[in-house]
Amino acid sequence: MSIDLQDIQGNIVKGYAQYDYPKARYVFYHIRNEVAGRAFVKGIAPLVTTGIPWNKKAKPNAADAPPPATTNIAFTYMGLKMLGVPRKSLQTFPEEFVMGMKLRKDILGDDGPSDPRHWDRIWRDTSVHLWISINGRDPASIETRYQEISHLVAESDGGIIQLSGHHGPDGSTDLPYQSASLIYKNGIPQAREHFGYRDGIGEPYFMASSGHPNRVIGGGKPTRGDPATRKGWEPLETGEFILGHRDEAFETPIAPQPPLLAFNGTFMVYRKLHENVGSFNRYLDTVGENYPGGKELLAAKFSGRWRSSGAPVTRFPTNATAETFEFQLNEAEARLYAERENPSKEAKEAYVALRTQMAAFDYNHDLEGSRCPLGAHIRRINPRGALEHGKEAFNTPGALTNRRRILRRGLPYGEVADDSRDDGDHGIIFIAINASISRQFEFVQQQWINYGNDFKLANDKDPLTGNHGVDSNQQPTGRMILQGNSTATENPFFCAGIPRFVETRGGDYFFIPSLTALHMLSNGTVDPT
Amino acid sequence: MSNIAGKAYAMNVVTPAKWYWVWVNKLFFWFVQLPGGAAYLKGLLTLSLIHYARWAIVSPKEFPHLDESQPKEKLKYSYMFFFSNFNGSWDQYVDSFHAAIPQGLDLFWFKNVKYPKSVPLQPFHAYITYNQIWTSHYYSAYPLATSNDIKSARHLTRELRAFSESSARADPLEFHEAYQRLLRDVQQDISIMERTPIVSLSAQAVEQRLDQADAERADQ
Amino acid sequence: MMDIIRVLVTGLLRRWYDNLRNLLTGTRPPAGAAGLTVLCPIINDSDGNQSHVMALRQHLQDLPLHENSPMAAVPNTYLCRFYILNDVFYQGAPAEEEHLKSKYLVYSTNFHGDLDSYLSGMWEHAQESIRQVWRHCVAFENVRTTADFVAYMKKCQVRNHLFFNGSTGDPLNRQLKSLYLKQEFSRFVYDHQNTPPEDLQRAFQAFIARTQPGNPDSPTWVAGADTESIKT
Ligand code: HEM
Repeated sequence: MSIDLQDIQGNIVKGYAQYDYPKARYVFYHIRNEVAGRAFVKGIAPLVTTGIPWNKKAKPNAADAPPPATTNIAFTYMGLKMLGVPRKSLQTFPEEFVMGMKLRKDILGDDGPSDPRHWDRIWRDTSVHLWISINGRDPASIETRYQEISHLVAESDGGIIQLSGHHGPDGSTDLPYQSASLIYKNGIPQAREHFGYRDGIGEPYFMASSGHPNRVIGGGKPTRGDPATRKGWEPLETGEFILGHRDEAFETPIAPQPPLLAFNGTFMVYRKLHENVGSFNRYLDTVGENYPGGKELLAAKFSGRWRSSGAPVTRFPTNATAETFEFQLNEAEARLYAERENPSKEAKEAYVALRTQMAAFDYNHDLEGSRCPLGAHIRRINPRGALEHGKEAFNTPGALTNRRRILRRGLPYGEVADDSRDDGDHGIIFIAINASISRQFEFVQQQWINYGNDFKLANDKDPLTGNHGVDSNQQPTGRMILQGNSTATENPFFCAGIPRFVETRGGDYFFIPSLTALHMLSNGTVDPT
Repeated sequence: MSNIAGKAYAMNVVTPAKWYWVWVNKLFFWFVQLPGGAAYLKGLLTLSLIHYARWAIVSPKEFPHLDESQPKEKLKYSYMFFFSNFNGSWDQYVDSFHAAIPQGLDLFWFKNVKYPKSVPLQPFHAYITYNQIWTSHYYSAYPLATSNDIKSARHLTRELRAFSESSARADPLEFHEAYQRLLRDVQQDISIMERTPIVSLSAQAVEQRLDQADAERADQ
Repeated sequence: MMDIIRVLVTGLLRRWYDNLRNLLTGTRPPAGAAGLTVLCPIINDSDGNQSHVMALRQHLQDLPLHENSPMAAVPNTYLCRFYILNDVFYQGAPAEEEHLKSKYLVYSTNFHGDLDSYLSGMWEHAQESIRQVWRHCVAFENVRTTADFVAYMKKCQVRNHLFFNGSTGDPLNRQLKSLYLKQEFSRFVYDHQNTPPEDLQRAFQAFIARTQPGNPDSPTWVAGADTESIKT
């Protein structure tokens, strides 16, 4: 079945950063009364960016022309309630969405410095009802769209309140919105986050995905074919990410009622994650000194990808192999950038070939974890076929992973003023899109990031993003084993005392309606009878 | 009242089946226990979520009858009693089976009355939920351990004892080398157990109330 | 299908061969993990101002947990549970509707060793707690001795058609000792990543002296404890 991309909000199917929208502004609102709320939604609806494939050469006002700034909208449970969605319908929403992120803290491991008590003020003191994101090519386009929306707020006569209370640089605690942006180097936006890792590589590929068909490699679900080729992968079912479509359980996902409210909609997780850059650098420096592979390999073992190139460490296990790859990748990217107005076929193909190599792997040749540790971030978060432990014992190698995938749509925020310090306001606005927040995002966060039994690692956590604790002397207790190679007599290495590198600073769970549902919400015509 | 003891969850499911079909179930259960038939349990072993599980089929006349004061059961169906001690949440367990070994699951519950098959998931969830019985008291000898931990602990202990004996008289350098060899052999067994992640917020709330009540009792 | 037949035939042959060999050599397969399932009818009468079934359920619900559970005293119990089978479930038309005439106490335990020793151990180590539970069951008032108890339980036993062991069949004290060693040795390894050979050897010797890997009963983990708790 084909999917009506014009009925689907564009942020579901597109990571805007990859379409040359390096900056974003996330704005949150409170609905004071239903009528104003619905009028506001009605005003926003025509501005909403859909999933229609863009044609760069289209005339500026054509339906398929990339807009100067995108706009998307989503609601919390309280937001839907304030819009007058009937109780019968509200009761069909999933428990975790109804509760919201704050009340899920014990599932998410938001304890100690990540406890909601320490979140940005907007998440502590107020009730967020509505989220609007504006992604833009430049600050001016974002500002223009923001002004349009602010005008609608003003028209609501106090019926809609824009919530402030975001923390920002220089100790500010009451910013009116959250800014986010790719990090720039020499004026060029980089796909990188503040610890220095290249980001935005792994992305689920599903039936309704667009882009080069090679993206199924590593992005889809594993078959038993060669992971280096398209035969090794198949697209995931659309229902893992968009409601109303067949999912990986061979059925249509559980969804709110009435069906039209849910159809082509989905759920979103918004999470402000602070990065303790100083602690991270200090840890790499001190432990990297004792680690035979050195600091960069240590960083690569944490994530599963080399920091500078993003090359997967299971495929490029040594500095030398990774450097060769990086050199080729830089060349290909430079060429593509130079030809950006009218790229040649060769330039594109050279890039796609390298890009594919970054995703074209599984862990069947690395079951022991001597290349990519069992506890590395990307191996935990998307084990591909690794939970079969090389046994071909399951119906399909991805049996335990295919229903745990998430689309990531976030961007870094803030700037690192001093990379030897943890304070300041910088990190990742982590946005995840999935058909079920509890089955996908929360499961990954709880079982795979903050626990390790599925990897036979007892209570070990993700080294990068786990909620590592402290002992009674306030010394960090995080740990990770970098497995050795038992046949090549390469010794395992044990990293002790890992501090918490990432802390939660706020967030909530949202429902992203389809354009049809948005229309029903704004007219107040949602009726589950 | 709890289905949870630390890292273990107790699941009880009781389902009816016609007497003539249960012979097929019995045959299958018998078959997988033959040497070689265990290949059919490979999926179960690889999932590695279970400490111990069992299936017991009770036909109408097999319900224990102890004395005259107890009326005899008059039943048409036989009943399959399923017990599992698994690690993780209900959803994780049921969903893993459904995704990883659906055919095996369908053989275990073959022809049970109204068994919907394990794929798709929602009818299967509904079937298990409807026929599940809550445990009144559950005890685990090792609430901090999963079956993975117990298996790896066994391996580690064997290697550690052998090493401790064989290295007793080594000089420091030999010792160091042998120690590194030991670590390579047991690297998959080195990990630390802590309390379980919270399986559900409601179970956590119950546990907190019970702890509180315990503490109050202790105070008195 | 061929596959199944092949497994069936070779399996049967192997089993007969094993039985024969055991018979001839007088060896018995090592006792490992086993499961016991019992269904004990509950007295269908009142026990003071409550019915027996209510009283029993409340008693079970209120039993202390973890290391304070009465079952922690029963040797070689890995995991066990009690529930009350009120009735069977009606599956809805066109299935037959039928009901049980008694309610049953269902006790399901996973243990190490042979059944007789396990049940005897249960009686000998937790007799008082057992009486508090089983006094609500039909004909339990006649149970006075260990032998009575073993016989009673066997009378209530139903057959397990498949017992799946996804763990180990070691005696409980060995399982607990290994868990203790895994935990302690893992800490040791993390603490000594960069320790030079001489110090390492000394530290290891101290570690062995402290943890006594050869002694299954001490130091070790306390059965049932839900926080790390060590018995010396
Ligand atoms: C500040 C926190 C985080 C940092 C620094 C971080 C860093 C990274 C890096 C460096 C990669 C590899 C590059 C790539 O594949 O795009 C990655 C991949 C990924 N991360 Fe994170 N991450 C963070 C938080 C999270 C969280 C909270 C989740 C989910 C709950 C998550 C899910 C993923 C996923 C799904 C992938 C792609 C894996 C794949 O499909 O290969 N990340 N992350």
